Amino acid sequence: MTLKKTAAYGLPLVVLFVLALVFPYLVDPYTIHVSNVAVVFGLLAIGLFLSMGIAGQFDLAQVAFLGVGAYTAAILTLHAGWDFWPAALAGVVISIIVSLLVGIPALRVQSHYLAIVTLGLSLAFISLVINLPITGQAEGLSGIPAPVFFGIDLGDDYLFYYFGLALLIVGIAFAAFVVHTRLGRRMRAMRDDDLAAAAMGTRVPVLRMIAFAFGGLYGGVAGALYAGLIRFVAPESFSLANMFLLLAMVIIGGRHSLPGVVIGAVGLIFVRSWLADFSIYAQLGYGALVVIFVVFLPTGIAGIPARLIELWKRRGTKGAGGIGVAPYVPYAVEAPDAAGSPDADAPVVLQATDVVKSFKGLKALAGVSLTVRQGEIRGLVGPNGSGKTTLFNVLSGIHPPTTGSVEVFGERSTTTPSYRLSLRGVARTFQNLRLFPLMSVRENVMMGIDRTPSRWSWRYIIRPLSVLRADARMRGEADEILDRYGLLGLAEAKPSELSYGAQRRVEIARAMATRPRLLLLDEPAAGLNGDEVNQLKAIVNDIRATGVTVIIIEHNMGLVMSMCDRVTVLSTGKVIADGLPEEVGRSPEVIEAYLGDDAKLEKEMLDATSGPAEGTVQ
Amino acid sequence: MQFVLQTLVGGIGLGAIYVLVALGFSLVYRTMGLVNFAHGDILMVGAYLAATFFISAKIPFWAAMIIAIVATAVIGLVIERILRPLENKDFDLMLIGTIGFGIMLEGIAILVWGTTGEAVPTPITGDPFNVFGIYIKRYELVVVIVAALASLVLWLFLDRTKQGIAMQAVAINHEEATALGINVGRSNAIAFAIGSGLAALAGGLAGPILYVSPTFGANLGIMGFSAAILGGFGNIKGAIVGGLAFGILYSFASGLSQGYADLVAFIVFALIVIIRPNGIFGESTVNRA
Repeated sequence: MTLKKTAAYGLPLVVLFVLALVFPYLVDPYTIHVSNVAVVFGLLAIGLFLSMGIAGQFDLAQVAFLGVGAYTAAILTLHAGWDFWPAALAGVVISIIVSLLVGIPALRVQSHYLAIVTLGLSLAFISLVINLPITGQAEGLSGIPAPVFFGIDLGDDYLFYYFGLALLIVGIAFAAFVVHTRLGRRMRAMRDDDLAAAAMGTRVPVLRMIAFAFGGLYGGVAGALYAGLIRFVAPESFSLANMFLLLAMVIIGGRHSLPGVVIGAVGLIFVRSWLADFSIYAQLGYGALVVIFVVFLPTGIAGIPARLIELWKRRGTKGAGGIGVAPYVPYAVEAPDAAGSPDADAPVVLQATDVVKSFKGLKALAGVSLTVRQGEIRGLVGPNGSGKTTLFNVLSGIHPPTTGSVEVFGERSTTTPSYRLSLRGVARTFQNLRLFPLMSVRENVMMGIDRTPSRWSWRYIIRPLSVLRADARMRGEADEILDRYGLLGLAEAKPSELSYGAQRRVEIARAMATRPRLLLLDEPAAGLNGDEVNQLKAIVNDIRATGVTVIIIEHNMGLVMSMCDRVTVLSTGKVIADGLPEEVGRSPEVIEAYLGDDAKLEKEMLDATSGPAEGTVQ
Repeated sequence: MQFVLQTLVGGIGLGAIYVLVALGFSLVYRTMGLVNFAHGDILMVGAYLAATFFISAKIPFWAAMIIAIVATAVIGLVIERILRPLENKDFDLMLIGTIGFGIMLEGIAILVWGTTGEAVPTPITGDPFNVFGIYIKRYELVVVIVAALASLVLWLFLDRTKQGIAMQAVAINHEEATALGINVGRSNAIAFAIGSGLAALAGGLAGPILYVSPTFGANLGIMGFSAAILGGFGNIKGAIVGGLAFGILYSFASGLSQGYADLVAFIVFALIVIIRPNGIFGESTVNRA
C-alpha cells in the first residue's frame, strides 16, 4: 500500500476514532445506552455479514445465536454462580456449537431452502426458551450481575461504552483480516460460484460450516455483551422481528461491505431509538427501505460512492476502451516444436475405463474409455450433446460416474471430489466461463494459487502473522502469472469489465495458477476471433512444453487438427474414433456423426459421379 | 386408541390449512423459482380482513372470505410488480425484498388492528359429529372440503387451461417460454395473485380455529413451507401429502406436550431437509457445469 493510499484510508479512520473517544463527553446517558446497544448489534451484524454477505449462506438464525450467547451467560451467572467472564466465554463457545448444528442443513440445501430452515430453527429456539424453566420461560431472567473488568465496574454505561467500543474495533479488524485473506477469498469465491470454487481446491462443505461458525462467534460475543449490558434476557429480544431488523441493517448498509454493515447497524439502532414513540411507523419505514434498496441499490449505502463514480466516469469519457490484453510470454523460449508429441511409452496420466453416467434414465455417457499419456495434447470432439462436458465433469470430480472407474496420475479417483483432484494437480476451465464475478482478476488468479488445505484455517487463531505473509507471497505469485498472460494491466478489474476473449484468458490463467499436471480445457476457443485463436494455440503449446498434459474440447476443427497429438471423438455417449488427427478426420463414422446420414450419402454420390469435386466436405 | 384417532382427526383439520398454505407457496415457487417470504404475512392480512368483515360488517363468512381473497390477490400483484426488475436475475435479493414486504404488512396490520389479536367465532354452529366416540367438528369438516376443492380447482387450472399450461412452461424454462410468445411477466403476476389468494383462503379458514394476531402468519407460513418441502416442493400432490402429514405431526406433538409442539415441528423439518431435501415426490436437479 502506498503512503498516499494509507493516508486516504487512515486519516478518516483516525478522525472517526478520536470522535468515538470523545463522544461520551458530548451526550446524555440515554444516548450512551443506545450507543452500547448499537455496539452489540454492530458485532451481531458483522457475523451476518461474514456468513451471508461474504460466504453466501442464507442464515436467518443469527439473532438466535445472540440469544444462545446471552442466555448461556445469564444462566451460568444466575443459576451456577459463575463469574461473568467465564460465563461469557462459555456463551461464545456454546453459540459456536449451536451455529455449527444450525449450519448442517447448509450441507444439503442452499439459498431459499436454507433461509427457511434457519428461520424455523430460530423459531424453535424461541419456543424452547419460552418453555424451559431454567430460562425463566416468558418472563426471562433478570438480575444478571454487572461485569467487572480488572476493577472497572461495567455496570456504568459510560465505562461499558469504552469496553464495547474496544471489542467492536477488534471485531471489525478481525473480520477485515478474514475477508481480505485466503479464508475470506475462498468464502467469496464459494458465494459467487461454488462449483468453480471447488474446482480451484476449495472444500465447500467445510467452508460453509466455517461461515456458520463465524456467525456463531460474533453472535455469541454480541450475546454475552448484551447480557452484561442489559442484565436481563427475555424471549422477545430474539424474535423474528429483531432478525428482520438485523437483516434490514445488513441490506441497507450493504451486505458485501464491512463498513456498510456496521454503519447500517449503528444507524438503524439510533433511528429506532429516535422513533421509539412511533415504533410502528419505524417498522413500516425500514420494511419499505429494504424493498427500495433491494430493487434500486442492491449494494446498499456502501455501494453509493461506487455508483456515483461510475455515473461520473460515464459522463466524462464516453466509451473508453480501457486496457487491452498484452501478449502472452511463453515459458519455452525455443521454437514451439521443441517439445512435440510424447513417446508412445510415456507414462499414463489419465485412465478412464467404461465410464457410464446416467441422469434419470438418460445415459449421457455409455461406457467411455480413455487413455491419455503425459505431455500429450488430446482433442475431444463430437456433436452437441455427445457427452464431452459430462466426461469432463466426471474426470474433474464434479459428478461421480454411475459405473466405471477413473485413474489420475496412477491413483484411483473415481469418486474423489473435485477440490481434492484440484490439489492433486487436475485443473479445468468451463464452457460457459465460471469466473468469480464479484472478485477482481487478481483475486480470481489468487484462488488458483492458494493450494492450502482447509485445516490451515487454524492459523487464523494461532499464527495470524503467517497468514498475512502467505497472502503477500500469493499476491506476488499471482502478479507473475498475470504478467505472463498479459493481464497485469487488468488485475484490479472485475471480470465483467473485460472483453470476452480476455475473460477466457483469465480462466486459463486461473487454471494454470493451480500448477496443474493435467489441464482440461472446455471449448477455450468459443467466441474468440481469429487472432485470439492463434494466441490460444501458442499458449496451449507452451503449456504442454512445460510438461502439462492437456485435454481440450473444441468445435473449431482447424484448431483441433493442427494442435492435437491425438483426437478422441464422442457421439451419443460413446467413443466412435480415437487416433491421430488425420486418421480420425477420414473416418466415415465421424463424418456421419458430424454431418448426418445425408452428408455421407451425398459424399458417396459425389465420389461415384464426378471425379475431382470442388467445394465438398473435407 | 381414542386419543390417537381423535388427534388424527384434529391433525387432518389443521393439515388441510397447511395444504392451502403449501399450495400457495408451491405455485409461486414453481412458476418463478421464488420462495415468497411475505406469504405468511399476506395470510395474516387475509385472516384479519375476513374476520373484520365477518364480525364488524356482519356479512356472511363466505362473502367476507371472497373480499379477503380479492384484496390479498391485489396485494400480491403489487408485490410482484415492484419486485419484477429482479425476476430471473437475483433470487436471493428478491427473497429479501419479499421479507421487506412482510415487515411492512405486519406493520400495517398492527396499525389497523392493534397488537392484541382477535378471536373469531366459528361461522358454522352445531354439535360436532360423533363417529364411534370420535368428535368431528362441523367447521373442520368444511375446512377439509374447501381445501380439497381448492386443490382440485388449482390442478384443473394448471393442467387443463391454456394459461395454466403456459405457466408450467415458464416454470420449466422462462427463456424458451418467452421465445414461444408466452408473456412471462403476466404469468408470474397471475401466479403471485393466485398464491396470495390461496394464502387469504388459508388464513381466513384458520381464523376460527386459531387466534388471529399480527404474528400468527409467520408461524403458519413456515409450517406451510415445511409441509411443501416435506411433500416435494413445487407440486400439488406433494403439497397435499406434506400438508396433511405435517398437520398430523403437529397435532400429535401438541397433544403430547403443548408447549414444545413448535420446537418438535421445526426440528423435524430441519431433519427432513438434511435427510431428504427433495421431499417425498420431489425431483432432484442437476447443476450444469
